[in-house]
Amino acid sequence: MASPSTLEVTGVPGRSVRARPFTVSPSAPSAGRWPRLRRYGVAYLYLLPSLVGAGLFILVPVIAVVVLGFFSWNLIGSPHYVGLANYHAIFGSALFWSSLQTTAIYVVLTVVPLVVLSLGMAMLLRNKFMGAGVFRTIAVLPWLATPVAIGVIWEWIFNPQNGVINNVLSFFGITGPAWLSSFTLALPTVAFVTVWQFLGYNMLFFLAGLQGIPNSLYEACELDGANAVQRFYRITLPLLSPTMLFVTVIDMISSFQVFDTVYVMTNGGPGYSTQVMNFTIYQHAFQFLQIGYASALSVILFVIILVITVLQFLYFRKRLTYDLS
Amino acid sequence: MRPHAYRILLSSSGRYLVLLVASVLFVVPYLLALLASLKPLNQMFSGSPFSLPHPLTWHNFVELINQYDFGHFLLNTAVVAICIAVGQVFFCALAAYAFAKMDFPGKNALFAVFIAMLLVPGTVTIIPMFIIVKNLGLLDSLPALIIPYVASSVFGVFLMRQFFLRIPEDLVSAAKVDGANSFQVLTKVMMPLSRPVLITFGIMSFVYGWNNFLWPLIATNGNGARVLTVGIATFQSSFGTDWNLMMAGGVLSLLPLVLLFLVFQRYIVSSIQLTSFR
Repeated sequence: MASPSTLEVTGVPGRSVRARPFTVSPSAPSAGRWPRLRRYGVAYLYLLPSLVGAGLFILVPVIAVVVLGFFSWNLIGSPHYVGLANYHAIFGSALFWSSLQTTAIYVVLTVVPLVVLSLGMAMLLRNKFMGAGVFRTIAVLPWLATPVAIGVIWEWIFNPQNGVINNVLSFFGITGPAWLSSFTLALPTVAFVTVWQFLGYNMLFFLAGLQGIPNSLYEACELDGANAVQRFYRITLPLLSPTMLFVTVIDMISSFQVFDTVYVMTNGGPGYSTQVMNFTIYQHAFQFLQIGYASALSVILFVIILVITVLQFLYFRKRLTYDLS
Repeated sequence: MRPHAYRILLSSSGRYLVLLVASVLFVVPYLLALLASLKPLNQMFSGSPFSLPHPLTWHNFVELINQYDFGHFLLNTAVVAICIAVGQVFFCALAAYAFAKMDFPGKNALFAVFIAMLLVPGTVTIIPMFIIVKNLGLLDSLPALIIPYVASSVFGVFLMRQFFLRIPEDLVSAAKVDGANSFQVLTKVMMPLSRPVLITFGIMSFVYGWNNFLWPLIATNGNGARVLTVGIATFQSSFGTDWNLMMAGGVLSLLPLVLLFLVFQRYIVSSIQLTSFR
């Protein structure tokens, strides 16, 4: 990784190098008033910022969100314990079930096209050819884009009056639909923008995965008379399953948490047609100030993400029969 | 021989066609937004979206900066993103060094806790985070946008630890024989040797801080600590049909990232190999 020139260890300035005799002096690190602290103190000191940071902003919050789920609190008064009342209310709420369903559909509408299309693109880019590097760069560019900015830009592109898409469609004499204010099209349109943003990023994983498959396997297969389709199903796909697992899991985790694009493109509407889980949590917590209810919703989202992650790992572990590493 | 040559030509031109269409799809939103941001409002409603700006005008950017404080938002965004990037690289390197090259009681247990925290999705913790930051009295300030992230990247610790583990122990002991203390070993040996991973992770942190929306939306209220993402969303909810200004806002947020991407392209693409470790 590092170039050879950076490998040389230079002497530390300001200190002359002394040769030390190999004798154990009585004041070795284990001595002193607090021997353990003196010996290990530095390690704990280095860990301290991360322990405080991650403790205060990940570990404590994740415990707190579970606890808050059993309370009723509007942020101003004092919280009071309500047991499972929040969960009862949530499971009886039509909005919860509809936002859960919307989120699930959104996940399918993003993850399936992302995996299929990025694998397809990686297959096209697999062999070296002129322009492959340029295309790879272009495809990855949207990954870094600010979702809020991209959401606003696509909102304009899909705008029915003066947007780009319907402008192009009208050139062919087609009257385009009102994409983002249609109950049926709004969610797929938002999902399309997510696919657009993460396609190139996912493709890089598949490119790396494809590079890991030895050419000799394909050559052997070709000698046995397998055609391109057979080679894909018998070699490429099984050997890519670790990459598939990884890509599917990270895509699902991020899709379950979608917020930014929904907020700027549709604000949950029309009606509740794009109101995903995270949007419902945001509304209950920071608009209706139902901290307990929103915390319970967060816990449910957390459990769903956790279960899916674990299930996918178990499922793929059973099927992963080839190990090239 | 001939049919074979035809097939190759056909398949490669088919591939180029598919890739050309895909590239256009990837780039066109950027170009259209840039075009639109240089147009006066009336041209947004009359001419085609593909037409060149006529007259070409910087007025949208000037108006956003002078009237709607977007210059201030841009500065806030840059400060937040830079602080998060620098802080995360530094604090993660410290913790990663302790995990990779030092021995202390409770090391394995602590590391297990760190791994477990990797599984916590970012949005799940946002409500308690708000309560904590509110009680620290930080709401509506730039520190509110920086402090929760600056030392809490579990992923960064994990990533750098993997990298530090690969650096031979001999180098560490050689530096110690030369009289280096452990901090000097970290800054003069480990970090220079891990430059690619530090730069890549720094870019990822910067982009995260730059693009962050939900947290600044919750944690800030007034214009003082507002960042670009919240600025764009707020502007949109008040002036949702001033498409030329909204496109200019989008360009303001995207252009620095495009430049960053072009400069550090190599590191960004290599981040894939870093994140796909198993």
